[in-house]
Amino acid sequence: MRDDTPTVRVTMFAGVAEAVGTRSVDVPWNGGTVVDLRTAITTMFPVAEPLLSRSAFALGDRYAAADERVPAGADVAIIPPVSGG
Amino acid sequence: MPHGTLETRLNHQDVALTREPIDAKALLSAVTDVTAGGSVLFVGSTRSQTAGAMTTCLTYEAHEPLARAVLAALVAEARERFALVGCGVVHRLGEVAAGEASIAVAASAPHRKEAFAATEWLMDRIKRDVPIWKCEHSPDGSRTWVHGDMPPNTSGRAAEVMTHP
Repeated sequence: MRDDTPTVRVTMFAGVAEAVGTRSVDVPWNGGTVVDLRTAITTMFPVAEPLLSRSAFALGDRYAAADERVPAGADVAIIPPVSGG
Repeated sequence: MPHGTLETRLNHQDVALTREPIDAKALLSAVTDVTAGGSVLFVGSTRSQTAGAMTTCLTYEAHEPLARAVLAALVAEARERFALVGCGVVHRLGEVAAGEASIAVAASAPHRKEAFAATEWLMDRIKRDVPIWKCEHSPDGSRTWVHGDMPPNTSGRAAEVMTHP
C-alpha cells in the first residue's frame, strides 16, 4: 500500500477481534457510507461475516447511522451485539 | 460520584467504568437527596453457571469512550422521563469472579414507582445499547464471547426496546 493511500482505522472488540485475530486494522478507503465500509471489511474478513452483519458502527465516541458518510482518516469501531449489564 | 448541591449533581453525568469492585452503597448515597421519597439500587452480579455450563470467571471489555457517552445519554434520558432526583450507573470491566457485582444502577425519585421504573428501563437499554461485552471462561481454558442477535440502537435517543426491529 502506498503511503498516500487513504484509509480508515478500524478498531474491533470481543468476538469480532477474536474472529479476525487483531484489534485494529487500516482499511483502504476511497469514501462511502457506513454500509459500504461494512462491505469492505466483510470482504477482507469473511470469517467475521456472521457478526459483522449484525454489528453497529461508531465514529469516534458516537454511534453512526447506516447511511452516514465515513471520511478518510476517520476512527471507526465495529460494535457487535453487546452483552454488558 | 461527587456529592454536592442538587443543581451540580443534575448537571453531572453520574456514570463510571471501573476495574475495581463496585461500591454500590456509595452509588446509592450519591443519587439520594432530601427531596427523594424513594431510592432503588439494582446490583447485577455474575453467575457461576450459564445455560448449564460452568464458568470459572467472566471478563468484560468496553469501547470505553462510547460506553461512557451512551451511558451518560441514557442516564440523562432516564432523569427526564422519570423526573428523577438522582441517577447513576457503574459498570465493572476486566475480570469479575463469580458472585461479584458487574453493574450497579441507582435511581432516586419523589415517589418509589418512578425509581423502580427507571432502574428497570435503564437495565433494558444498557443490555441492548452500551458497548460492553462479556467473555465466559470455562474450567478447560476455553473462552466464549457473548453476543446477542440484535445490534445496538444507534439513533441517539433511546428507542423502545420492544419496537426495535
